[in-house]
Amino acid sequence: MDKRKERLDRGIKVRTEGIYAISSWRGIAYVLLPTLSFILVMLTLPLIVPSTTWQRIMTIACIFALLALSFDFLAHFVGIVCLGGAFFTGVGGYISGLLNSAFGLPMAITIPIATIAGGAICTLFLIPCLPIRGIYFAIVSLMYPILFHRVIQALNIFGGTDGLPGLATFPNIWVELYSIIPITLLLTFGLRRLVNEDFGIVLRAIKDNDQAVRASNINIAWYKTKAVYIASAIGCFAGACLAHLYGWVGLSLFALDFSIFPIAATVVGGGGTLVGPIIGAFILAPLSEMLRAFGPLRVVFYSLILAGLVIYKTEGLLPFLQRKYHQFERWTEV
Amino acid sequence: MLEIKNLMVFYENALALNNVTFTCQEGQITGVFGPNGAGKSTLMYTISGIILDMKKTEVMRGGERITILGEIQFKGEDTTHIKPNERTRKGIVLCPERRRIFPESSTLENLKIGGYLATRQEAKKTLEYVFSLFPALKDLKNREGGFLSGGEQQMLAIGRALMAQPKLLLLDEPLMGLSPAIQSRLVQAIKEINERTGITILITEQYAQPILPIVDHGYVMEKGTIVLAGTAKELTDNPHVKAAYLGA
Repeated sequence: MDKRKERLDRGIKVRTEGIYAISSWRGIAYVLLPTLSFILVMLTLPLIVPSTTWQRIMTIACIFALLALSFDFLAHFVGIVCLGGAFFTGVGGYISGLLNSAFGLPMAITIPIATIAGGAICTLFLIPCLPIRGIYFAIVSLMYPILFHRVIQALNIFGGTDGLPGLATFPNIWVELYSIIPITLLLTFGLRRLVNEDFGIVLRAIKDNDQAVRASNINIAWYKTKAVYIASAIGCFAGACLAHLYGWVGLSLFALDFSIFPIAATVVGGGGTLVGPIIGAFILAPLSEMLRAFGPLRVVFYSLILAGLVIYKTEGLLPFLQRKYHQFERWTEV
Repeated sequence: MLEIKNLMVFYENALALNNVTFTCQEGQITGVFGPNGAGKSTLMYTISGIILDMKKTEVMRGGERITILGEIQFKGEDTTHIKPNERTRKGIVLCPERRRIFPESSTLENLKIGGYLATRQEAKKTLEYVFSLFPALKDLKNREGGFLSGGEQQMLAIGRALMAQPKLLLLDEPLMGLSPAIQSRLVQAIKEINERTGITILITEQYAQPILPIVDHGYVMEKGTIVLAGTAKELTDNPHVKAAYLGA
């Protein structure tokens, strides 16, 4: 007799799909367990890691996670492949740094201003490319950081090649960690809520078929602009935080790493899940630190691990774990 | 020529083909009729082997798992696990649903891609045959495939399939979305292909009326199961078929 593997949903999931979830504590636990454990791990991780160095790595991972979040939001919910991570961090970092060094504004004011104004500036630059799709948008967004980098270098403005040193920094590592991590969580779950609201439904429809959306009398350009604003504001926030983490703003904020790393994190964690990129960033950033022991071979191992993850878990880690959580498999006779 | 034994295909837990057993006789036209979701396209994908590619993609993506059980015999040889390109080499050629022509290549280029496996001589001969079969295509030789009309695209799709030198030609819903006039022209062309070249043809369609006159043998599928089988005459006279597929 032939056999095949059958995939079944855990019975409880059926009940938890709707309002019935609240009828039993098991249902509630089943729904909340993954989310709560994710939040709990994120919040307790800084307490567990051994040294200040590792705590610092965690904050950097958070910055990358935010960039990955903005990439995933644009790529999988709006259909825009944006390589502008470096553009966002650069603009956000420089606005925040300038406000702090020129006017002496405190961090609590510069970071929000950099987020809002930086998002607007990045969006203005990206608006002309909104009608074009696919690889073209990616190329343009990849060019902007290089453009800004060269302009600052050539005109010797904003501190030129030396950058702006001596910015305000976070008072200590704990303030740093426990302000950035909760904001990361808040943005992640906020975005996840957003993409399931009406606004997000329109965005996903634009990704699938923009002609059909236009036929429904919806202004695509306006929706895309709003989405790009959200993503670039998140990126600018990450850049502003980064400037104040280092107490320094320089041309390295426009480095290509900030564009490429988020993509790797998204691929590893699983695109289209929003939580996946965060997990991906928290795997890749410490990994790259751990591999420092290998010296020059570091990049080799890093690339091998990345390639292996992509080949054997193409979907990403989170979708795989989600499936394992919701479904079990068994052999059945046909 | 083609023998299918106890074929079962699962998309995850959904049963797309349930214990399908049937045969295609050499040189005949066999028709498979059924409503949407009956498993006609799955049947075509399974015979042509494309389902193996789909299976691989789904595994990579972590999507639904495709399970294929049963046996497909082509000319007495078990082809169940042979790759789709190998099957084309053996002579099983699929003309896919919704045409799937290459929209940015010209008509001639589309046909040439179809004749990739054929020798230069064969390709030249078949090309002439396709142009004599569908004279409209000859005038549109240099037009990009995406700019052809629906009927012309379907002719091109059939022509492209012929270029691969099929022994068994699988036509998946060749009349989809076409006007009755073009439908009858295509049906005539299909009959002519069968008569002139002796190619065995397996054809699926939802609406049996235009196809039934040229079919030697027919099967009716519903929800993945073959519910009726018989010659064209038997099917035409069957009251159930009359009601469901002939609109009488």
